[in-house]
Amino acid sequence: MKVTIKSWNAIAQWRWDTGKADQDDADEEDVCGICRVAYEGCCPACKMPGDDCPLIWGECSHVFHMHCLLKWIGTGQSKQQCPMDRRPWVTAERKVAPSNSS
Amino acid sequence: MAGIASRRLAKELKEIHTQGCPVGIQLLSADNFEEWHLSLEVMGDSQYQGEVFALKFRFEPQYPISAPAVQFMVTDKYKSPVHPHVYSNGHICASILGTEWSPVLSVIGVCVTLQSMLASCKKKERPPDNDRYVRHAPDNPKQTRFHYHDDTV
Repeated sequence: MKVTIKSWNAIAQWRWDTGKADQDDADEEDVCGICRVAYEGCCPACKMPGDDCPLIWGECSHVFHMHCLLKWIGTGQSKQQCPMDRRPWVTAERKVAPSNSS
Repeated sequence: MAGIASRRLAKELKEIHTQGCPVGIQLLSADNFEEWHLSLEVMGDSQYQGEVFALKFRFEPQYPISAPAVQFMVTDKYKSPVHPHVYSNGHICASILGTEWSPVLSVIGVCVTLQSMLASCKKKERPPDNDRYVRHAPDNPKQTRFHYHDDTV
């Protein structure tokens, strides 16, 4: 069956909370440094963005798609280092921003 | 799995086409996601004034998790730069192409690093073990375990 979408109305959008203050008004989207796909997109192995392809935060403050980072950390070559700063990778506790939504 | 390398490379290619390459770097060919060629020139005052080199990148399907195989091309048109870290067959002894590779690097990022490696060269000479290395070198420089020389050169 072929479906043609004639029109659509966006009612909401979502973003990962990467903890960056300027993320709300950032026109240019932040991308995962490994696959270069937007955080809100998904890693090359996934088809659906969202909870199935989450982000991972390092204590060093760098953020990647979890699957991308794990693929890298799983190689001997990575020496378990953050791809950005080559410091030992330590996964940070996921920061949950204080909810100020009404 | 062809997905990961081709998607990442398609993104890099699009960026090159929309934003252009840094000065002194030009895309010669990128007809597929296995091998790209770029030309490299050192701008300004350097040991390599007037010389144009070409780099060959070979990608595995796992790029950028796995490092690309990068070497200077040695053809009728292009020569391998005379540099203490570059062998006459074009193989390069640079840690970022081996043990210090990071998946956040890119084709252009590697080119810029190699450009500055050439730019900072003080004396044009081959690596001390050039002849011995070239005689037995594998086709793919990634198969060589380089012993990295000091990074100040």
